[in-house]
Amino acid sequence: MPNDIAGTFLRRPKPLLMTHVVAGYPDLDESRKTVETMVENGADLVEIQIPFTDPLADGPVITAANRAALARGVRPKDVFAMVRRLTQNTAAPLLVMTYANIPHRMGFERFASACAEAGAAGVIIPDLAFDEAGGDWPGLFRRYGTAWIPVLSPGMQEERMRRILAGTSGFAYVTLRTGTTGARLRIGKAGLDFLGRVREVSGPPVAAGFGISRPEHVRALRNKADAVVIGSRLLELYNAGGAKKVGAFLRLCRREPESSSASG
Amino acid sequence: MRITRPRARSRFFGRYGGRFVPEMLVPALEELEEAYLSLRNNPGFKRELARIRRDFAGRPTPLAFAENLTRKAGGCRIYLKMECLAHTGAHKINNVLGQILLARRMGKTRIIAETGAGQHGLAVAAGAARFGLRCTVFMGEIDMRRQRPNVFAMEIMGAEIVPVRDGSRTLKDAVTAALKDWIEHLDTTHYLLGSALGPHPYPRMVREFQSVIGREVKRQLAALRISRPDILVACVGGGSNSLGLFHPFLRNGKVRCVGVEAGGRGSRPGDHAVRFGAHGRPGIVQGYLSYFLQDRDGQILPTHSVSAGLDYAGISPELADLHDRKRVEFVAVTDREALEGYRLLAAEEGIIPALESAHAVAYGVKAAADLPRSRVMVINISGRGDKDLFIAARALDRGNWLAFLKDEADRAE
Ligand SMILES: Cc1ncc(COP(=O)(O)O)c(C=O)c1O
Repeated sequence: MPNDIAGTFLRRPKPLLMTHVVAGYPDLDESRKTVETMVENGADLVEIQIPFTDPLADGPVITAANRAALARGVRPKDVFAMVRRLTQNTAAPLLVMTYANIPHRMGFERFASACAEAGAAGVIIPDLAFDEAGGDWPGLFRRYGTAWIPVLSPGMQEERMRRILAGTSGFAYVTLRTGTTGARLRIGKAGLDFLGRVREVSGPPVAAGFGISRPEHVRALRNKADAVVIGSRLLELYNAGGAKKVGAFLRLCRREPESSSASG
Repeated sequence: MRITRPRARSRFFGRYGGRFVPEMLVPALEELEEAYLSLRNNPGFKRELARIRRDFAGRPTPLAFAENLTRKAGGCRIYLKMECLAHTGAHKINNVLGQILLARRMGKTRIIAETGAGQHGLAVAAGAARFGLRCTVFMGEIDMRRQRPNVFAMEIMGAEIVPVRDGSRTLKDAVTAALKDWIEHLDTTHYLLGSALGPHPYPRMVREFQSVIGREVKRQLAALRISRPDILVACVGGGSNSLGLFHPFLRNGKVRCVGVEAGGRGSRPGDHAVRFGAHGRPGIVQGYLSYFLQDRDGQILPTHSVSAGLDYAGISPELADLHDRKRVEFVAVTDREALEGYRLLAAEEGIIPALESAHAVAYGVKAAADLPRSRVMVINISGRGDKDLFIAARALDRGNWLAFLKDEADRAE
């Protein structure tokens, strides 16, 4: 079942690979094919971003892709159509990621129903705090059968973290540092410590992201995270050599630790 | 689901405001809110702020009777609140000094800010220089080009100016760039946001720092034995100078408050910055819920104004609420009318206003004509117009100005 997040975490070898694409970059067809290539080469979950003019949490690489997709006229409804088409022939759960103004403009209820209709397994909206404006956003999406994936970051208060995790149905997304998205050379200690703290609070599986750019990063997180998220690095590879390069990189990340000599 | 019943009332103005940010910004915003709440009534902090406002910023700024303008308009009496006489030439310094004192007490060593017209950036650069803090200012590439005099002034004060080449390359993108920089440097850096917007606690805090304008007007009118103004007029970019003027009077229903938005060069999307018009609707952008210029999908629209400081797609959430409650009226003034306001105030009163403030002048003069002589209008001259000489001169005195520029360029070679 493509939208079975829990089953995916149970059945697949850890850490799962979660990838990111900006829908409509460089165009809708290409981004759809890239998702297919990702899944064929080992992606277990794919995050599909509805482009927005002001992607606050994104670094330059992803921001530029948002910009380019919008310049081509990509609209949220096109992205939902793309997700629907993908869910019909892809085994990996797909997650819709965007910023709060897109669902706000559409109406949260309509947005949640569009996610469900398209077959999205979950939704990630980094600038919509789970409890802001009296909205029970996780509950709203859950009613439509879509998991609300919270994004947790180092520095957040214990109390708040526990409250968020208690209400999480799919998995939690942990950023390994405070900052915007972007490939980095190293995973910092603060991020790893925070990841440990989150996992101590027993609850949903945990995906770690922000900065992951080398196969050895993936290996380093093997016993620390249930999934790793790779975004900007894949986009850079795509820009350099198309979906083929993305697929090759994912295969490297997939390899058994001993047999891999890759250095990224 | 509609967004109603806010859990934490104080983060909202009616349904507007809030703290719509990635989780990683929450601790920093909470630290700021705590520091602010604990200091705002602290006698030492208040004394320090009052002293620096007087000695450095030159407050109180005068409230001047505009005798010639009044005669020319032929209606009510027009007074000008001279924020243009505050140090660095605009009301922006009021907020900057408050936040800089706050940042120092929070132990921050670096200040970052966004700027459109450059007046906020200039005030920040001055404050940072005065208090020995490192300073980085984000500015859209287009704004850098049209406000070059301010870029020079900021640089000479030691600020680093970072050109923002993303998106519309104006104020909105400078805000995003500053927020992103803040996310990367939370421990050392204070983000000194320049208007009454952004995530909580900024809208409330900035408005409180700016309310010194209205409080002074109240006192200054009382000294003239005027119990209350009948109409207050201010331009509205983000909303800080207008809220600063209006806020102390909002309780008095007899005082009309008018905010003047940038009508730009036309009504098509991208030609203006009228948030309370055909293309503005509630949205969640840059950390807060308010009116934004956006398309049917929620993508933010480009804006235009002859004045860089009014050229912004969003607006203070408090003003959004006051608009919906009909407590503040909003009107729009075109680029051309604003340029005429600029010329008129210079010619009649010997005051060259910022092009932002010239919007308020243009509307004020028009409205004054219809009001009886017994009434009192206060127009906020939010800033002075030196920074706009290059734009205004090109529009108002094209031939001579271009010849001058060419000459200067030749001599600079
Ligand atoms: C002189 C002047 N007036 C007005 C504004 C508009 O801002 P606000 O509406 O926040 O007062 C600016 C902004 O840069 C400005 O420089």
